[in-house]
Amino acid sequence: MTRIEILNELKKVFAPYTTNKEMLSSINDSTDLIKDLKINSANLVDIIIDAENKYNIEIDFDAADKMINVGSCIDVIREKLNQKNVEYR
Amino acid sequence: MLSTGNDIVSLNAINITRSKQPGFYSKILCDTEKALYRESETALMPFENYVWLLWSIKESAYKYLQRIQPGLVFSPTKFVVKQLQIPFLYAITTFDVKETEGRGFDSNAVFKSTITFGAYTLYSRSLMYRELIVSVVNGDEDFENTGWGIKLINKSDPEYQSNAVRAFLVNRLNKLFHLDGLMIGKSMHGVPIVLKGDAEVGLSVSLSHHDKMVAYSFQFG
Repeated sequence: MTRIEILNELKKVFAPYTTNKEMLSSINDSTDLIKDLKINSANLVDIIIDAENKYNIEIDFDAADKMINVGSCIDVIREKLNQKNVEYR
Repeated sequence: MLSTGNDIVSLNAINITRSKQPGFYSKILCDTEKALYRESETALMPFENYVWLLWSIKESAYKYLQRIQPGLVFSPTKFVVKQLQIPFLYAITTFDVKETEGRGFDSNAVFKSTITFGAYTLYSRSLMYRELIVSVVNGDEDFENTGWGIKLINKSDPEYQSNAVRAFLVNRLNKLFHLDGLMIGKSMHGVPIVLKGDAEVGLSVSLSHHDKMVAYSFQFG
């Protein structure tokens, strides 16, 4: 998946947890989940679980720690998708 | 340096089913904390309450340390709750007021814990009602100089929450210190600071909000 494809899918993952819909429509790599999208920290684990379910990947603790902004979320998901593809070969 | 960290969880807003799923709570609790629930009287409380009690303690500990270690990343399983003391004859009650404020916790039915993060050992006090959990973390076991407040608000949008918790804290500080014109700002590292005009007042404060609830804590200098 390309970064753009993942970004568009991530908008759907974030949607239930942000009231800032205007910001959601224009997110980019530097958009901070808490400071910009105003996502409550109590929902960060929900986002990780939703991303795991959507992409059928497992996001470990170290990877989850990096998921602070949109760009780092995309990086983590791409890395986990690549690992999964390697395992399937 | 004085610091404080707090957190509030609205139990009305949590997903109970998800909170009890291993894939979810394993991202918050480490193995020793799972064992702590099974082995102690904490098993008397619903498991989802235990998960969110520990979340609030860990988030409070993170906020405490964030003031000391700017740039610290919140990684829940690295904050380890080592001991959890439940109030004697504990029975959960309803939060039946609009707001409450206090200094110290001795007169309340309070949960006490010890938390470790790397070389740090921190201490928490938590209040749990049917509707909410509030935690405060300090660097020592004495909470006598800790001020705190909990308030129910009318809306859950972030701007309203942010304004409400700031006004709640400023009102308390004005009453205590008789200083007009106090404002809550943010440091360059993103932690809340108290300002009078352009000058920072040397008071450590922590703010939190979730759903239609806000809370603060601060340390009397």
